[in-house]
Amino acid sequence: MHRLLLAAILTAGSLIQASAALAADNLNVVVILDNSGSMQEGMNSGGPRIAAAKTALQKVLDQTPDSAKVGVYLLNPGRKGNWLIPLGPVDKSAINDAVSSLRADGGTPLGKSMKSAADALLKLREEQRYGDYKLLIVSDGEATDANLVERYLPEIQARGLLVDVIGVDMAREHSLATRTSTYRNASDPASLEQAISAVVLGESGADASDAGESDFELLASFPSEMAAESLNALTTLANDPVGTSGRNSYSANPRPAPPVANSPHFPNNSAPVGNQPGGRNGGGGFSFGKMLFLMVFIVIVLRVISFIAKRR
Amino acid sequence: MFRTTLFALTACLLQFASTATAQEKFSSITGPLDVTPVAKSEPIQVPFITWGGDAATFYANGGLDTKPDSIYGKAGLKLKLTPGDDFVQQVKDYMGGKSPFLRGTMRMLGQASEVIGKDPRTKPVILLQLSWSAGDHIVSREGLKTLNDLKKDGKKAKIACQQGGPHVGLLYDALAAAQLTNQDVEIVFVDDLTGPNGAAEKFRTDPSIDACCVITPDMIGLTGGVDSAGTGAEGTVKGAHVLVSTQNMSRSIADVYAVRHDWYEANRDKAEKFVAGYLQAAVQVKKLRDDFEKSQRLSPEYRNLLTQCQTIFGEEVLPTLEVDAHGLLLDCNFVSLPGQIAFFEQSGNLSGYNSKMTAALDLATKWGYATSRRGFDPSGFDYRKIAKLANIEYVEPSRIVQAEGVMEFPDDDFDDDTIVSFTISFEPNQTDFSVDRYGAEFDRALQSASTFGGAAVVIRGHSDPTKTLVQLLKAGIEKGIIRRTGQQGSYKYFLNTQNGSNELDLGQTPALVKLIKTGAFEGAADSPLQTMQAALNLSHARAEQVKQAIVNYAEKKGVNVNLSQLQPVGAGIADPVVSKPSSMAEAKQNMRVEFRIVKVNPETLTESDFDF
Repeated sequence: MHRLLLAAILTAGSLIQASAALAADNLNVVVILDNSGSMQEGMNSGGPRIAAAKTALQKVLDQTPDSAKVGVYLLNPGRKGNWLIPLGPVDKSAINDAVSSLRADGGTPLGKSMKSAADALLKLREEQRYGDYKLLIVSDGEATDANLVERYLPEIQARGLLVDVIGVDMAREHSLATRTSTYRNASDPASLEQAISAVVLGESGADASDAGESDFELLASFPSEMAAESLNALTTLANDPVGTSGRNSYSANPRPAPPVANSPHFPNNSAPVGNQPGGRNGGGGFSFGKMLFLMVFIVIVLRVISFIAKRR
Repeated sequence: MFRTTLFALTACLLQFASTATAQEKFSSITGPLDVTPVAKSEPIQVPFITWGGDAATFYANGGLDTKPDSIYGKAGLKLKLTPGDDFVQQVKDYMGGKSPFLRGTMRMLGQASEVIGKDPRTKPVILLQLSWSAGDHIVSREGLKTLNDLKKDGKKAKIACQQGGPHVGLLYDALAAAQLTNQDVEIVFVDDLTGPNGAAEKFRTDPSIDACCVITPDMIGLTGGVDSAGTGAEGTVKGAHVLVSTQNMSRSIADVYAVRHDWYEANRDKAEKFVAGYLQAAVQVKKLRDDFEKSQRLSPEYRNLLTQCQTIFGEEVLPTLEVDAHGLLLDCNFVSLPGQIAFFEQSGNLSGYNSKMTAALDLATKWGYATSRRGFDPSGFDYRKIAKLANIEYVEPSRIVQAEGVMEFPDDDFDDDTIVSFTISFEPNQTDFSVDRYGAEFDRALQSASTFGGAAVVIRGHSDPTKTLVQLLKAGIEKGIIRRTGQQGSYKYFLNTQNGSNELDLGQTPALVKLIKTGAFEGAADSPLQTMQAALNLSHARAEQVKQAIVNYAEKKGVNVNLSQLQPVGAGIADPVVSKPSSMAEAKQNMRVEFRIVKVNPETLTESDFDF
């Protein structure tokens, strides 16, 4: 009995390993890299965050298997636009040139970037169908377009894309930490490289082993027809661009998202961050969209009040 | 298009009964035949039948009588081509020494094998494979979707088929592909290939007939076209559609020339010239045909050939040149020199001479045409010499065509295009597919790929959805969408809604589906969508492993395989047999790899060096 159990465990283990290797081989990932001004700041241990990110990217991209497709998308456009490295098989001879050109300057328009990166992945999934599809957000602060993050994140997840987050040298967890597949905090260059490496090189999307006996007990009282309909819903993944929704995002929000905090960009965590889009320092706060909405709302309210006053 | 081999006369002579069970032996049909030596005088009588492949014989001969400036004329042959659609008469002429040649299909020779193979002098030597047919079809009514349906839930399909003609072989192969025999269906034999006493008319007038074996014009008449279904208008039969066609089952009907053994021994040089001349002519005829197909401009040379065919076969058979006569040639896949080598010499060719002879003798003995197995001999030609005589390049065929899968199936919807399917199961967490356990299925897959040379063999992996459903519940609990109470073995699940908690029941299905579709279960450590994707990837990987195992097996056995036909596909958890397994036994039903023979456009397959 024990032997049988051991054999089963070993078999399952080898299958999971095999599927992990398969996943790494068939991984399609876009690294959304925060190159906002705050990434120029020094890490707790070591040089500037952007320098650590460059080194980590160079090392990890150099190790990607030929079958993997990787892209690096910048929050702020560089010389060749937002795609520092276009999504596809990695051209290892071009990594150094591309990565060395990387500069940190600008805001943190994460929501907009998530949509662009997700759309590229969805287009690829439409073509390939198989493989694992991930967004890896590497950021040292909160989004300046938090409203778009709120809008797009559930849609991206509803389309079955995995979202992983690495908080770079953040004193507090990123607001996405509890709402994404994995969250890692990297406070020094070595842990940043390790974190990026773990997502890009070494993880399968999920345990793809076959069922075990205990699984049937868990499902016993789940109605069969309901299960069949659930499978239908799960297997009809939409690949249309985010925001055009084939799958409307979930708005019931059983667990409210944590409030968006200003990003602590200084080691002593004392200075608040400016939140001007396009400014040197990325940070959270009141977004431009919200501001516009508020202004329109105020104008409408004033008009209504003046209309009522006139009628009187 | 037209295989109007008017076996009507044969059928009349045969006086076959109208059911498969009352099969008459071929020797009873011909009556006793004495063997007479072949006349030494010239011209040599060579039969032809109404088929596109015979157009190359006319071309090589310059008409029915050899013209001095024709390919055969220049080779020093003097032939007289004579109609051979009455196969029984052909056999009589052959045995009586009037002609050393027989013209038919491998299966027709099989039906006559006991008669023609009894005396060593008349034992057939197969000289040449002219072509593979692409113009014969089995048309069925609406209820039959695949060949597997010919026997469904114990019900035997009733199939109309001409007795003694090429469609007997077509039917045999179609049944074999679904692992059925003539005992599993009810065959209603009819006298003629086409016309009022043909299978198409029987199908049209007798609603109890489920399917019929027909030539292209009849297929179009019943269905409206190879990819259409009849509407009931303009003579079509409502719902009638092509169940299988030799366009896809492209290595079923092999047209051949055979000669008597005694004549071959004495006239080997003439036999070589005959074959070389045919192959030389076939190259040119194929080019003329394909040029017209591309340009739609009738060259004078092609017009002459089509006119010649129309004159020989009759205007009632080929009313027009551009449609009917050209269509006759389009329905024929000429077998080139590499194809001859592949057919006669490649032991690993599952549609080669040995396989086809075995199948022909199987049919003859199992269906009652013969009681003993009397085989044929191959010519044993030196094909380098034949290439030189034919003035064509000597090219050896490939054994394995290296190519990517023929196509992608993004919508996963092959049901309408599936011709036949079968399934293998695997154990939980199985990662290898050994020959020891799956050899029989691999053989079947390779045989299917060979017989259905114009189809894709889709290897479709399936995963069990249990893990995904478990992840759905776990993610729901983690995110507060679902609440669980009770102990192991007696859990209860509740859907947390704005109105409180309700135990999961069918009424809440739309709400649950909506939550799934809006990503409510995602973003936690347990992700049902990721598990679903992982299952999809794994099912594809398993299909790939099965494909690789088949390829390795084929290489080890020396079996020919065209890799462009093999298409691994992952279905993941999208098509489970049991949606919510309650035990490992039920889960195992979902753990399967399906083989589906799927219609594709044959032109998408890579066959340039594999043309047999």
